[in-house]
Amino acid sequence: MDIKIRHEGRDISAVAEMINGTLWIHYAGRTRAIEPQTGRRARGRAHGAEASGELRAPMPGKITKLFKKTGDTVERGEAVIVMEAMKMEYTLKADIPGVVEAVHCAVGDQVGLGQDLVKVKPS
Amino acid sequence: MERPVKKITRLAIANRGEVAVRILRACEELGIETVLLHSEPDTQSRAWRMADKRICIGPAATAESYLNIEANVRGALAAGAQALHPGFGFLSENADFAEACAAAGLIFVGPSAASIRQLGDKVHCKALAKAAGLPLVPGYEGEDQSVAHLVKEAEAIGYPVIVKAAAGGGGRGMKLIRESKDARELIESAQREALSAFGSAKVFLEKYLDRAKHIEFQIFGDASGQVVHYFDRECSVQRRHQKIIEEATSPSLTEDLRRRMGEAAVAIGVIGKYRGAGTVEFLLQDGQFYLLEVNTRLQVEHPVTEMVMGIDLVKAQILTAQGDYVIDSTKPRVSHGHSIECRIYAENPYLGGLPSTGLLGRVEWPEGPGRRFEYGFESGDEITSHYDPMIAKAIVWDETRGRAIQKMIRTLQDSIVFGVQTNIPYLIEILSHPEFVQGTMTTRFIEKNFPNPLTNPEPTSDEKALIEAAMKQIAARSAPAGAGSSIPSPFAGEWRAV
Repeated sequence: MDIKIRHEGRDISAVAEMINGTLWIHYAGRTRAIEPQTGRRARGRAHGAEASGELRAPMPGKITKLFKKTGDTVERGEAVIVMEAMKMEYTLKADIPGVVEAVHCAVGDQVGLGQDLVKVKPS
Repeated sequence: MERPVKKITRLAIANRGEVAVRILRACEELGIETVLLHSEPDTQSRAWRMADKRICIGPAATAESYLNIEANVRGALAAGAQALHPGFGFLSENADFAEACAAAGLIFVGPSAASIRQLGDKVHCKALAKAAGLPLVPGYEGEDQSVAHLVKEAEAIGYPVIVKAAAGGGGRGMKLIRESKDARELIESAQREALSAFGSAKVFLEKYLDRAKHIEFQIFGDASGQVVHYFDRECSVQRRHQKIIEEATSPSLTEDLRRRMGEAAVAIGVIGKYRGAGTVEFLLQDGQFYLLEVNTRLQVEHPVTEMVMGIDLVKAQILTAQGDYVIDSTKPRVSHGHSIECRIYAENPYLGGLPSTGLLGRVEWPEGPGRRFEYGFESGDEITSHYDPMIAKAIVWDETRGRAIQKMIRTLQDSIVFGVQTNIPYLIEILSHPEFVQGTMTTRFIEKNFPNPLTNPEPTSDEKALIEAAMKQIAARSAPAGAGSSIPSPFAGEWRAV
């Protein structure tokens, strides 16, 4: 839909659309995705920026490699999982040092966005 | 000029997305009926809606559909096609596929299986180039593919070393090894990607040139046996070895270099008895050029060459496949003006290019003089995680490089894609970067200048007002008459804080 308003004395217009609960809006050369419930820009990923030891799938895709099993120790930044999506490999790394407490996936699994994959307990 | 040998009246397209549409349109102009060979989810695509006939050749997984030789050949035959165009990626550089088509009586729109084996296999190609005295990057392209041996060879070449899929392209199955300790893991990862993307785990190693430009030449061989080049493209702007922005012609070549590289490119084509469209890729560093590889197919970035040369490479491919002569050697080949292509990827630029999937809403490509759009998906189509994230390409042409850059920036600003995040903000930043504007960028441009994801700026006062208004309109539309809005203001929190 087209949005036309008078703002601070000027007429401005934008193109907007609500898709699956996200508001998409294009104005002055920029497209934004807004989640109306929170007023935040859509984050597009299931985990926040804080280090938690929870490794979740940042996108839908397939698990192609698991470097750790329950009980293994990991360093911060160490590769734990390799995922494939859109024909590219992505390496998921531990965000804290610790011990692998649980592994919720296996090589070959198709996983969804935000799915829990590995839990690291801080050491 | 025309010398029809075997007029094609129905052609099968063994591909998807924007390139399938590109081939469909060339066929429409030539009066050729089209058959789209597609996977199950790709009924939601522009090519599916445009094709005259459609045959589902398998499920979403590429190994069972777009990479399945038998399914493609059977589909093309069932639909009564005489010819098959493989597009790029998937089976386009697979000699076995070219052979299977020929054996089934289908004209493969591309070079012969023998040419693909000679030039398309990077290892063979290098041996040929070496014999012809063409400059090569130091590397290892032996048959011993054990990880231990590959690591040993990498050590001998000296880091940084790049590991690449022998059958590959497009950055898949390609990894940069900077240090000895990462070698084993990166080689294994490249082998897995190569196997998944191209059906062969074979890799080779190459010394990594750290301030090189990527320059390539478009070559073309027609049915008369002549091979010519249609000048150069520069594709130095790459991320994870995947091209993002390409242009024709390169701002970096002197006339002398252009002549010598063009001659080398044609020489390779002649050795390989090349027929159809192909690309000879070079790295250029400190005035020296090195042969990188030959892509025995149409290239993603072929439109920039079409724009500066005034040709239609896809039509030329099809005409060549049916035996017509397309090269007029009495006419000089000159390039005119400057063309730039931007690849539009479904990914989140604020999260370092993480793939973005979803249902496409409103999509708008702002047409105008010297603007061209190649796209495979429209409003209502779903972008899934099964395939490559490239959803469209924007191409511009103008008299000078500076004006072409200016035109591309405005074109991207006016492009609308709702439903998935795209790299458009990232492309605009790159196009505005002084190094790009000067034309001095190397293949490390992104790594050097854009090491971090972009920052999503806070909404401006205008944007906030528009978002408010949009939410009100949506609430008014969904709520029954008289009822109050049930959707809270997106900035309610901020207002309380003020």
